[in-house]
Amino acid sequence: MNQSRKAYVLISLLALSVGVLPFVIPSPYIIGVMCFIAIYGALALGQAVLMEHAGVFSLAHPSWFGIGAYITGIAAVRGVPHLLAILVAAVFVAILAYIMGAPLLRLRGYYLACATFCLLIIIEIVIGNMTSLTGGHEGLLGISPLAIGSFTFEGDRHFYFFSWGLCIGTFWFLYNLMNSRVGRAMKSFNDSEATSMCMGVNVPNYKLKIFVITAVMASLAGSILCFWLRFIQPSMFGFPLLVELITIIIIGGGKTLIGPLLGSFIVMWMRELIHIYLGRVLPVMTAEIDALFFGIIIVVILIFMPGGLAGWLEQLIFIGRRVRERFAGP
Amino acid sequence: MTFLSQIIQYVISGITSGGIYAVIGICWSVVFLITQVLNFTTGEFVMLGGMLTWGFHGAGMGLIPASLLAVAATICIAIVMERAAIRPVRYPSEMTYMMLTIALASVIKGGVLLKWGSETRTIDPFFGTNVLHMFGATITPQVICVIAFLVIVTVGLSWFFNYTLFGKALRASAVNNTGAKLVGIDISKFRLFCFGLAGGLGAITGIVTAPITFTGYEIGLLNGLKGLVVAIVGGWSIIGTVIAALVLGLLEGFCAGFISPGLKDVFAFLVMIIFLILSTYRISSVFKEKYHEPE
Repeated sequence: MNQSRKAYVLISLLALSVGVLPFVIPSPYIIGVMCFIAIYGALALGQAVLMEHAGVFSLAHPSWFGIGAYITGIAAVRGVPHLLAILVAAVFVAILAYIMGAPLLRLRGYYLACATFCLLIIIEIVIGNMTSLTGGHEGLLGISPLAIGSFTFEGDRHFYFFSWGLCIGTFWFLYNLMNSRVGRAMKSFNDSEATSMCMGVNVPNYKLKIFVITAVMASLAGSILCFWLRFIQPSMFGFPLLVELITIIIIGGGKTLIGPLLGSFIVMWMRELIHIYLGRVLPVMTAEIDALFFGIIIVVILIFMPGGLAGWLEQLIFIGRRVRERFAGP
Repeated sequence: MTFLSQIIQYVISGITSGGIYAVIGICWSVVFLITQVLNFTTGEFVMLGGMLTWGFHGAGMGLIPASLLAVAATICIAIVMERAAIRPVRYPSEMTYMMLTIALASVIKGGVLLKWGSETRTIDPFFGTNVLHMFGATITPQVICVIAFLVIVTVGLSWFFNYTLFGKALRASAVNNTGAKLVGIDISKFRLFCFGLAGGLGAITGIVTAPITFTGYEIGLLNGLKGLVVAIVGGWSIIGTVIAALVLGLLEGFCAGFISPGLKDVFAFLVMIIFLILSTYRISSVFKEKYHEPE
């Protein structure tokens, strides 16, 4: 079986199991958590491709998510048709990411990370201070339920299919992208920028392209989150979300595309467990408390399991193959 | 209040916050130059200093023993952190270090939030609350304390790095790590020392500023980042950092006074982004070497 057919089998298996799940287990709680897994999975996929495949260490990814959510929310509150609102948010984020990315991506390593980290903080503060437009720190309320044409999304099951549709679509798109000319170019300049420039790869152009593409994906995920929760707050898109995203990528392993989805699955369920079992013991339960546990997990995994879960599985498969070869004999 | 006294008031508050940023910036650069780790927990050390002093003071200790204990505890935390979390990483790269220290920062922050809750705290000023008047503006003794602390740190560290054998060895290992190892300098001890120094200085900063600006579990992020801004703009040197910090503090003071207090924080980060972007355009060869180096 060749590589691409294997991937299609994997994607269709994933889509099948996701599609069957709400009919097998009709619990609204589990479906709700699965929605979160899909949204964060799509977000983490973009961040992982940006960080580990293209070598662009941008920390401003949660901001695109937040801006997408806010523009969709504000447009929906003002009565703009919802599909149009989502499109407007995506186009606006694309333009903003292009304008910000063009000068920022000239930086490298630590300096790129510092600049984008500042961008993250700036956007959170600005959203919090534009009270008349965004509702300030109290959050944006009064978003009407998502309606496309005459079809209204109500209940978690509709959003379940919508968000998983986005998530699997993102996965499929990025899989094809990484196995195309663009993806191979990105892999090459992640390994050695000087060499790939000598081979004629237009590195800044590719970096900017992947930056804008992942920003648009984050914006789409933000739009879904906005319509699903129907309430958004600036603190949802700040530092704690960044720590959560890094945890997802580290746990799952960012070198493969299935890693962030695995990581998202584990981290979201872990968050639920923390909330259920520790919520009784601890006095306060905020995103910062989650970040405490996630921080410990990041440190432990970086020290003991640097490839993440996907890397570990790959190693296991490799060892298994070696053992089988050894015992099969010539 | 006249216009002149208003301006003097802004200058005083600007110099105070500039002094705070300068010390935090020195904490960043001490760790960064010797270990190549961009230590995002620097801001949390500042927070820890203030909060631990508040905690020990609340447990019935005097102010001075409480602050000494807080500084010692922060130094211990910094050293343990370096030993237990940062050194054992298997494939150290810029990205790994950064994720690691961001994670550690959120651990410290979450721990303090769990222990002491999210209210803002304050500790009593060390030298009473008698206010000095100057051209109609008011100065509290605590502000003078901050400025004195900045001067002591700057002069002390400059002397230490330039005139003692240990300090010279530290500078040597910052310039060339491998070379320093070859002439017999024990780098791993220096890494511990640098983290300890950053922790101690950060904690003292937190204690000195707690009576003025209040302390709480969330002050670490913004203060730490502004320290990073001045360290980068100042080119990682002590004197550059101090100048950048004072300029940033003054600009921020005027921005808060004349434009909007809410956008004061945005301003500092905007300065950093613009500076970094400009530094990639070849203004001078120094910048090019420093910020655009190949990997």
